[in-house]
Amino acid sequence: MGNLKEKRIGNLSDPRLPYDYMNRPYGTVPMDTTRLPFQWVSEVAYKNMHRIVARGYDTTELAEQGYGLVDILFIDFQSRIPLIEENEMLHYVLILSLEDGLSMPAAMSRIVGRSKTFLTQACGASILAFGHAYGAYSTFGNVLIEGLARVEKEGKTVEQVATELAREMLGDPALGVSGLMLKDPAARRIFARAEALGVAGEYIAFTEEIVKAAQQISDYPVDLDMLGAIGATMMDLGFTPEATWAILAITRSFGAGAHYIEEVEREDLTRLGQELTPKENYDGPEDRPVPPLADRDRIAKPGQTHTPEEWKKAFDERQKLHGSGFAIMEEIKDPSEKT
Amino acid sequence: MDRESVLRRKTAIAYKTEEKTVLRGYDLSELAEEGYSFYDALFILFQGRIPAAAEEKMLKYEMGEFMEHSMSPSAASAIAVIAGRPNLPTALAASIMTFGGVHGPGAAHGYMMNKYIERARVEGKTLDEMAKILVDEYLDAGEKVMGMGQPQHRDGDPRAEPTHLKQEGLEVGGVYLEFQRAVEKHFHARRKREGKSYVGVNVVGAGNTALMDLGFSPNAGWCIGSVCRGFSCAAHAIYNMKRGHAWAASSREPMVQMLDLSMIKYIGPEDREVPSQEERQEYARKQRESGEYKKWVI
Repeated sequence: MGNLKEKRIGNLSDPRLPYDYMNRPYGTVPMDTTRLPFQWVSEVAYKNMHRIVARGYDTTELAEQGYGLVDILFIDFQSRIPLIEENEMLHYVLILSLEDGLSMPAAMSRIVGRSKTFLTQACGASILAFGHAYGAYSTFGNVLIEGLARVEKEGKTVEQVATELAREMLGDPALGVSGLMLKDPAARRIFARAEALGVAGEYIAFTEEIVKAAQQISDYPVDLDMLGAIGATMMDLGFTPEATWAILAITRSFGAGAHYIEEVEREDLTRLGQELTPKENYDGPEDRPVPPLADRDRIAKPGQTHTPEEWKKAFDERQKLHGSGFAIMEEIKDPSEKT
Repeated sequence: MDRESVLRRKTAIAYKTEEKTVLRGYDLSELAEEGYSFYDALFILFQGRIPAAAEEKMLKYEMGEFMEHSMSPSAASAIAVIAGRPNLPTALAASIMTFGGVHGPGAAHGYMMNKYIERARVEGKTLDEMAKILVDEYLDAGEKVMGMGQPQHRDGDPRAEPTHLKQEGLEVGGVYLEFQRAVEKHFHARRKREGKSYVGVNVVGAGNTALMDLGFSPNAGWCIGSVCRGFSCAAHAIYNMKRGHAWAASSREPMVQMLDLSMIKYIGPEDREVPSQEERQEYARKQRESGEYKKWVI
């Protein structure tokens, strides 16, 4: 190594840097022997050469005793053996979550499959369709939890909080109430089955109140939808919002696997450069000549703004360009809001 | 609200109207109402048929056995991905995408079985004779026989032989089980002859055999196995998300974390100066000519 002190490398000798960049040590950090060495720590499962154990139960013994995947979902996520009625209810929910026609998970799986990929890539991709709009089980479940907490903390009735939520969220894809299931009885049947099996609890009851409130204030017909029916039932089965989100997204992935297979069987592969985007689908800036590189300094408009007013003007202008990202307003935690 | 599908396709799997969702001709809600299980629904999804009771039981057993495997590449992926705290589905997707050519190669095992069973048929050989040919061809070529061996369960995968026994007990064994058993017999015999240690059947060799005898295609079997594992990986991801530190590198934890700086061991080229742009062309030319860099190319 040469004498770095005498060299200058960009800004790396600038005194404003937090430490001496020109004399930073090379080499990796020695093993930390003052703490316990790294291990995969888990409350969920372990294995050794002869056993696989989930929440204390040997999985081969579980299978031999007649427990199946649906039981083991309760074991992995809740550390308990479910009642037979709970097991039946989860089967019911999983069947309804398995297939949804050519919806987004199937479409994503098929699109990935068109590039001659592994099936597992397509199945994985299908899960990425689950966000906070499509299959928003996490959001939905947390809304229920927070709503019931408001009942407790604020001394309001369930009906009052349900009405507040309906007002705040009507039209939100995570409310569990919409016009999607007005002609399809499947969602209502889920609650009916939960009642019949004796597994309906506070989340189904609360969701029913939200549905009632939404129906009163909505100026268009709404009812319980699949998100609300499945989400509330899973919560009453004891699954957290996150477990619910995960279990149902993965369940749909089996269906997406079948769509991958069918796409490969029935459709062509797509190669790089093959697909065209016709001009009639384009509404961006008009075609224009590329200026000579030598003219760049004359033509280019720097993006910097120097006052809040300039910034606002530029921001508003940038919002007009689709695809720039300025028109998307994502919510972040606001530390000024007291919870 | 626009309810058109984002992708227009002819499909033989399912349709969905405002009134119902129909899988291979069966209304999903009616299937659930009638008391069919999730395992039944998977037969309908991939095979368009309602299974016999013993077949349903076998799938239940297989999925129950396969779902949880503690720390495997798939669980490690889910845990690593959730360390960055993306949306949870990202970790689930990663876990399933981990299933490739080595981790649960269900489809490849199935294709191998189909290929050799077809050869037995065409060449007029018994399944036992063809199983010996398979073992010899793979081992002579220095290839691993799919379905055999598991790096963590060196005495034999605890799930594997019980799966074979269950298949036999439920009387759902067919050509695949007979062939797989024969592969195992010849595999063990050859290793014994060569003085090599015992390598047992793994859960792919046993489970995928069962799935194939249940009428699932290699890819359908792979889907069932790898996606079913996604459930347990989700549990591992959520556990780490709720109980662990994001980034998995905190020095405040009593145990050294997965991504602690001290976990990094570097065995690459020696530390070296970055050449200036003035030196660059000459430096790069010499580097290219020396060819020393080639041993690092990956």
